[in-house]
Amino acid sequence: MQLNESTYETIFLLYIDKELSPKERLEVEAFIADNPSYALEMEALKATVLSAENIPYAFKENLKQFEQETSLEVLDQKWDTTYATILKEDMQSIPGLSTSFKNTLKKETASEGRIIIPIGFNQNKFTYAAIAACLMVFIGYQQLTKSQLSDSSVANSSASNSVVSNGLATNSNTVIVPNATTIISTESTVSGETVVSNSKQTATIKLQASQSSIKRSSYKFQNATIAIAEPNRNNSNINNQAIITKLSSSYNNPMTIDAISTETNSIDVDTETTVDEKAATSYEVIDTEDPNRTIFIANFEIDGAAFRGITRRFSALLKRNKSEKEK
Amino acid sequence: MTDKDYNDCVDNFADGVYRFIVKNIRHTEDAQDIVQSAFEKLWVNRAQVLPEKAKSYLFTVAYHQMIDHIRKSNKMPLAEETTIPHQKIVQQDAELKRILMHAVNELNPIQKSLVLLKDYEGYSYQEIGEIMHLSESQVKVYLHRARLILKNKLSAYAPTAS
Repeated sequence: MQLNESTYETIFLLYIDKELSPKERLEVEAFIADNPSYALEMEALKATVLSAENIPYAFKENLKQFEQETSLEVLDQKWDTTYATILKEDMQSIPGLSTSFKNTLKKETASEGRIIIPIGFNQNKFTYAAIAACLMVFIGYQQLTKSQLSDSSVANSSASNSVVSNGLATNSNTVIVPNATTIISTESTVSGETVVSNSKQTATIKLQASQSSIKRSSYKFQNATIAIAEPNRNNSNINNQAIITKLSSSYNNPMTIDAISTETNSIDVDTETTVDEKAATSYEVIDTEDPNRTIFIANFEIDGAAFRGITRRFSALLKRNKSEKEK
Repeated sequence: MTDKDYNDCVDNFADGVYRFIVKNIRHTEDAQDIVQSAFEKLWVNRAQVLPEKAKSYLFTVAYHQMIDHIRKSNKMPLAEETTIPHQKIVQQDAELKRILMHAVNELNPIQKSLVLLKDYEGYSYQEIGEIMHLSESQVKVYLHRARLILKNKLSAYAPTAS
């Protein structure tokens, strides 16, 4: 910036209009200090600047609009900043309130944004509760059925509803009948050894032959009559003869136990087993591969198709819950 | 711009816009109408106006409405400020103020608006050019001419005032 006779007026006008930088303003002031004759010129130009006036507009309120969009935000801010504190102070001063509730008020602040967890069942909890209830009903029904059958078996006979487990079988044709309580006990005094299990739920016959053995033996029970061979300890002449006595005729499901003996599991030939020909006549072969069969696992009766459906639904439920959690 | 921003504009800029208009046309009712029209236009177009540009927008709208008003009514009283409430005017030197305002009222509307926007509102040349749709150099030249005119008129009135 160069101040001289020809440029001073323009620069002075820029000065009074405040369009110069601070450095340039200092240069102008220094120029005036060095040349007092220009001071009057500067004062004359400064006199043209209007001074501030306050002329208020009287109708401001008529121009204002209702703040519909932000009114809730403003109220929320006012609540957070003022009313929440006042309320806490008032609550603290009430003597009837419990100390724990007051302490809760002390810990909370308006800006914390406390999360309130709703009380009650949500969808997942309700699903789990429904599954648990179904399981409890199912188990309870099974236990009730079990107890009823046990009672009936005791009432009929101590050895009704027999179970015959052919320990000689090698083709896994072992059948477990629910509520089995009867043990077949066969003991050979001469050549055979029979291990008898008195367990109520298992029946095992172990016949160990020392002499010749048969390759195949078939026991036939007619009208589901389960026979038990009992040794006759009193008669030494028929020492090797087991007398099969009829225990119960209440078991109506005919079955056939087809036993294939091996060298190690064979029936003593000398042990002559006599079966009541009138009672044991025929048995059915249980097809374990039949999908429509009824499987007895322990004391629970489970339908194969229904069980698969339950497992599928349960797995689908788990997958859905997992996907919801991932979302 | 939100509703709250608009109401803030009313609080902050209504006085300045009104002062600018009433100093130009020197008619309070017309000035109030122009101010109201300017704020109505701001309210209608508030979605397109940024809050930081609201003041400039208001002065621009008010200025052009004032020009339209002057052209339609064809009244530019150059005599006394009969409608301005003198009791509300704050000034250090009442006589000098009166002489200066008299000189300002003798300026043409563009020069007068330039002086008012510069002195009352403190706008820069660029901002005044945006409001009045003038270039920065035009603002500078017109304003300097107005200053020199005022200076000469003040020099002429000064001996009388003193």
